[in-house]
Order: sequence, then C-alpha cells, then structure tokens
Amino acid sequence: MQNNNEESNQELTPGQAQLDSSITQKINYLQTLQDALHDRDDRQIYELIDNTRYAREIKKSRSTTQTQNLADLVADDHPQLSHYLSQNLIEYLGKTYPFFYYDEVQDGEFDIYFGNWWDRRLFGQLDVLNVAFKFDETEYNKLKRTFELDSANQRYNTENIAQITAKSAELQKLIDQQDERDHQKESLRDQLKEISQRSTLPWDSGKVKEERQTIVDQLSKLADDDEAAINANKQIKENDEQILTLSKEDTILTYEKQSIQKSFEDFSHFESHNLSLYADYLNNLIGKGQVKTDD
Amino acid sequence: MINDNDPSTLSTSGRLLSYNDAVKEGLKTGEKFTDLMDQLINTKDPKVLLEAAEALSVFELDSDYVTFPHQYNNADYYLIFMSRLLELHDKGEAITLQSHEGDQHLTQSLSALGDLASFAFTAANDSTGGVYYQDQVTNETVFYLNLKRQIMRFNSSAITTLFIETYADKIDSDHLLSATDLLIAFGQSLKTDFGFDVDFNLLDTSNNEFYAFKTSNLASGIVDKLFVAAASEDYMLKHDKDGAVLELTPDVTLKIASHNSTGAAAWGLYVQDSKQEVSWFKILLQYPFLRHWYLDDLADLQIQSDNLVF
Repeated sequence: MQNNNEESNQELTPGQAQLDSSITQKINYLQTLQDALHDRDDRQIYELIDNTRYAREIKKSRSTTQTQNLADLVADDHPQLSHYLSQNLIEYLGKTYPFFYYDEVQDGEFDIYFGNWWDRRLFGQLDVLNVAFKFDETEYNKLKRTFELDSANQRYNTENIAQITAKSAELQKLIDQQDERDHQKESLRDQLKEISQRSTLPWDSGKVKEERQTIVDQLSKLADDDEAAINANKQIKENDEQILTLSKEDTILTYEKQSIQKSFEDFSHFESHNLSLYADYLNNLIGKGQVKTDD
Repeated sequence: MINDNDPSTLSTSGRLLSYNDAVKEGLKTGEKFTDLMDQLINTKDPKVLLEAAEALSVFELDSDYVTFPHQYNNADYYLIFMSRLLELHDKGEAITLQSHEGDQHLTQSLSALGDLASFAFTAANDSTGGVYYQDQVTNETVFYLNLKRQIMRFNSSAITTLFIETYADKIDSDHLLSATDLLIAFGQSLKTDFGFDVDFNLLDTSNNEFYAFKTSNLASGIVDKLFVAAASEDYMLKHDKDGAVLELTPDVTLKIASHNSTGAAAWGLYVQDSKQEVSWFKILLQYPFLRHWYLDDLADLQIQSDNLVF
C-alpha cells in the first residue's frame, strides 16, 4: 500500500488507538492461551475460557471483567479444546467417580455410561469446558427414587413386579380351572334342560324365567372365563417379558446405588460433590501447579 | 475260484479242483479274519490296532463256499477298538464290553454310569464308513466316528440331554465327569496317536474354543435373563467390547461374544481359565443358575454340532 501520509504512522487518532489496543488485547489473550496450551497449564486455559466464573468461584472476587468476550475468539475451537482438556479431567474424575465411563462420540463430546455391567445405562453427557455432568433427567430421577425406596427395603420396580406377578397368577388360575368350569357348564346345561322339560304352572312362569336367566348368566360368565383362559398363556408370557425388563432395571439401579454408596456413602453427598465439581477440580489444578513450582 | 466258463465244458476233476480252490480261498479269508481279530484283541501297538479295526469294520467274512454262522456285526469291531485303545492308555477298567451271546452282538458300558446307559456303534450309512456311538437306552447319539476319514465329532445335543438333563439327578457330578473324561480320553488318543481331527464340542477345555450357539441372532432378552439370574447369585455380568463377560472365579471367566475365534460374526461362548481345564460342560454341571439359563432357552443356546454328520 502506498504511504501518502507519513504523519499517520506516528500519531494515532483516538479511534485507531482504541482499535490498536483492542487488537493487542486479543493478541495477548491468544498468546496467553497458546502458552498455556504449550505449558499444559489446564488451569490457565479454564480461567481464559470463562473468566467470570473463574473469578467468582475460584478467586472469590466479584470483579467484572471485560475480557469475557475474548473467549469468543476461540469459540469455534471448543471441540478441540474440550478434547484436549478431557484427558486430565477424566483422569481426575476417575478417582472420585470410578463408576463413570466416557465415550467420546464426537470430537470433545462425551457420553457418560454408568458402570461396566451388562447393558449399563447411558447416563448423560460430560461438559468438559464447564467441568459439569449433564445427567439424563429420567435416568437420574430413577436413581434418586431408588435411594428413597431403599430405606423401605424396596426396589424401584418392586410394586410393579408384584402387580404383574399377581395378574399372571390370576391368569394361571383361569387356565388351571378349565376342568372345573367344564363340569360347571355341563351341570348348568343339565339344569336348563331340566327346567325346559318341567311342566310349569302358569303362575310359576315368572319364577322359572328368572331361574333360567340366572343359569344363562352363569354360563355366559363361564364362557368369558374360557375365552380369557385361551389368551392367558400368551398374556403370561408377555408378563414374564415385562417382569424381566423390570428386574433388569432393578438390577442395574441396585448396581448404580451400590456404586454411589461405595464412593459417596449416600445420594446427597453425591449430589453436593457434583455441584462443587468445577471449584474442586480447578483447586486441584492449582494445587498441582504449586507442587510443580515447588519441585 | 470257480471257473466262470460254462460248467459243462469242465471235467469232473476240473470241477472238484475249482471247488476246492474256492473253499481254500474262503478258509484263507477266515484265517485272515482271525489274524485281524488276534491283532484287535492282543496288540499293544495303537497303529496295528487301528489297522485291524479299519480292516474288520469292512470285512466280508462269508464267501460263496464258506460261511460262518456266528459273526459279530461290523460296527461291533469299533467297540472293541474303542475299549482296547482306552486299555492301551490305562483306562481299561473304566469301561466294560458285554457280549450278548443270543444274537451275537456287543455293547459297552461305562462303569461311572452304572446301569444308566449301554453303548453300541451303529452304521451312519453315509457311504464313507462313519458310525454313531449311541446309547441303547435312549437312542441318543453321543459322537460320530469315521476311521477312514479320521474324524470324530461330539454331539452337543446328546451330551446335554444325557449328562446335563437325564443323568444329572441320578448320579453325582464326579461320576458324570469321569464318564465324559473317558470319552474325551478316547478322542484325545485318536488325536495324539493317529492325528484324527476331533471336535470335542462343549467338552472342549481350551480357551480359544468358541462354543457357537444354534441361533445366529441372539435376542438381547436372553442375555438380560442371564444378567438378572447372575445378579441374584451375586455374580455380575459385565459389559464387554464384544458382548458380555462373567467372572465366575478369579480364574474362570465366561464370555458371551458376537464373533468366533476367526473373527466371523456369530454368537457363542468362550470359557477361559489359566490351566485350560474348564469346559462349558463343566460349568453347566457346576453352576445351577447357568444350567437353568442354558436349558431354558436351549432352542437358541444349544451349542452347534458339526451339521455335516448330525
């Protein structure tokens, strides 16, 4: 570019000065971030990508900073940043939450699996940049309920299973009573026959009609039971499958509950740990940094 | 041999000579037979034993001019062979041959099983000389044997029916195991003495043996059942890269996998232990919850046998 005005190089207009300072600030920001990356200083990176939170939770200062928008400079690098930061974070989480397993489904995106047992549940996602668990609400609430029921010595599906089991028992009874019903039907039909053959006095006809209707009703009730018995085996099988699904869920929830008890004793400790995860982790990184400088 | 030419052209002495030759030939066949029987009954050399059994299993003892009224069935020589081979491997006492004089045939009993079973071979009629080792009480076929093609194949269905279901509440598992050990010893001898190709199926104790399920598409509900059953016995069925894994003892692990040992897609089991002494069969005997699980869905879980012979 042609340089027509030499003076402009020496003296900046206020607008230019502001621009210059803004660019310098960005360069400094990115330079610090790059240095932190080279030094593997994860704490510094966390501070840079969310200065406000860092100030509030770690420095315990209320200083509002204007640098937050700087973090937007690397917004499109978040997947890679998250991937990088996950290494140390997951290693750290492994000690406190030994029952969580992580699967990086996309660069920097982690699914959380609870446990290493068969058909373990997908329990949520790990938000690496915010050092937080994003638990699946439904799964989380089931586990919470499991802890609540534990004091009553019940499992999550105990009641459900008992109901279905009772239904199956009823159905089995229907199947088992087929012979009995056949006998009843036979005797009821005989009674009907006997009534129709009876010579009835005119003033008795109402009573006979009534008697007849009672028998017909009984027969129709038995026919309904027969019908239900025919479908009972299929229904029992379906119930068995349902019970299996529920028992499996109970087994999984029991394993989850036991895992939490082993590491946190109870659910409330688990919950409070989750809430302070960011501060705990960053303070742990600070501690490590000090150990490093001490060396 | 008798002259095929028109008999009328032969002189009387010619006819007598050719008759005599034919008888001599028949007697020679008989003598050859008794030599082979001597070998089969007395030899201490497994190779000679196998040769004799092979020859006798297809031996035509009768000729046009000499017939023998008392004969064993060809398949009976397999029984003698089996008993003798086990005897040469110091397992002779565990097995008894019975000769049934009335209709001249042999059966074999395993002392571990007592009166529960009595075995005999029957021809497989597969035109390659194969035979089936069958229990005479239930007609279950325990294994297939072919001396010419040098193969032996255990039948998982019969092993399951007899040893896991039928005998299980009649004799203790020690006896069951000594019976199957004997059958395994026979297969092992065929393998080491003669280089037979033997499929031990669910009796195989090696770690890389893949026990393939009959179903190629295992329903997850079946594994769910095992998960729940195991949990109630305080075993945890764990998630595994290729299926699920159950640690029965610190040393014995059962794996449900969706690939066989060559990496091809198939559902089945592996049983792994450091000494390679444990088979799926032994696990079925030892763990009731696994036995129930297996038998409950046997139609899907039955371990695949060689479908060329079963």
